[in-house]
Amino acid sequence: MMDHARYRMLIGADPRSSDAELREHREGCPECRLYTEQLLRFEARLERALQVDIPTRAEVLPFAAKAATRDAKSWRWMAIAASVIFGVVVAAAVWIALPGTSLAADVVAHMAGEPEAWKLTDVAVPDAALEDVLRDSKLRLSAAAGIVSYAASCTFRGHRVPHLVVQTPSGPVTVMVLVHESVGRHTQFDEQGYRGTIVPMPGHGSIAVLMQDPGAAHARDLEHIAAQVRDSIVWLDPDLRQ
Amino acid sequence: MNDGSGGNQRRTRFQALCQSLRPDLLRFAYWLCRDHALAEDVVQESMLRAWKARDSLLDERAAKPWLLTIIRREYARTFERKRVITEDVDELVAKQEPMLAAAEEQDLSEMRTALFKLPVAYREPLVLQVLMGYSTAEIARELDLSGPAVLTRLFRARQQLRAALGEDDGADGEA
Repeated sequence: MMDHARYRMLIGADPRSSDAELREHREGCPECRLYTEQLLRFEARLERALQVDIPTRAEVLPFAAKAATRDAKSWRWMAIAASVIFGVVVAAAVWIALPGTSLAADVVAHMAGEPEAWKLTDVAVPDAALEDVLRDSKLRLSAAAGIVSYAASCTFRGHRVPHLVVQTPSGPVTVMVLVHESVGRHTQFDEQGYRGTIVPMPGHGSIAVLMQDPGAAHARDLEHIAAQVRDSIVWLDPDLRQ
Repeated sequence: MNDGSGGNQRRTRFQALCQSLRPDLLRFAYWLCRDHALAEDVVQESMLRAWKARDSLLDERAAKPWLLTIIRREYARTFERKRVITEDVDELVAKQEPMLAAAEEQDLSEMRTALFKLPVAYREPLVLQVLMGYSTAEIARELDLSGPAVLTRLFRARQQLRAALGEDDGADGEA
């Protein structure tokens, strides 16, 4: 038969024990039964006290977060790679299809830097001065080009290029002979107050023609002027002659 | 590699399992650490370790004790890393007062404070038994103690709690 001390120690260690020996002692001992009831009330409080509400700051389990991060990283890298490829393809397409766009911007920027070239005049630059400007590009202009009122040898994209102003019935037109700038196709542009065209000259780069006041000329006028200037070019280098 | 659909299913299943056990695991860690933030850290790190060691869990029904063991080890590692050699229980109680005092009943709040002041050697088997439903044999196995040693600790734990709460213990037994 279990004694009181032994019973109270064992029931004190595990008040909800269903051990048969403990139950037997309890049933035969009113004092220990009363003790057990007190202990069970205490136990209920203990159980409630341990059930503390813990607010969780992390909603996502770490491995799920890591996996998600890993997935996200994979997708991110794939997206970056796709973006880079897409960007390269688009840039290449633009570069191939629209070579004049950035060239046009550079031409416009250059023209804007030389406002004095836009003067409306009927005074042509001396032939000698014009020849000096054109010599670097190994060309000269026939009289069919019209009155060239301004001629300067300018640095453009690392090369010396002729910068001319031709007086036309539509007003002064700026011409840049870009022997180092080959373009794939004819391009028109209209930006920053300038309307222009860049015309390919197979084997000789290109020619840029623009007017300062877009209202003053129709696109076809520009094309006409460009063709006129282009046709008036006489290449001095035998290798460059067509 | 398990990043295929099988791997995803397994992760989802494991995540669901851990999510369902998380409240209990957090409570256990809380009573072990007596610090809410530390408990969260320990559980998070334990979950990560569990995920890495998921192949060692052969039976999902054993997930809870398996995770509790990981948490205990992680807590021990944290303890070693932080080299917490002194602890001011009053300070701990003050720090965790919002949670301890969250109980609507005053006696629950007092009980929680008394639990805080209980040495970990008594607190841990008590929490395993009362909160986690461990048997004496399971506690002995988890804590690497003999059965009688566990019974003694459980008895003393309750004895000290009752004394702290001003209740007559009414028992003078020892294991």
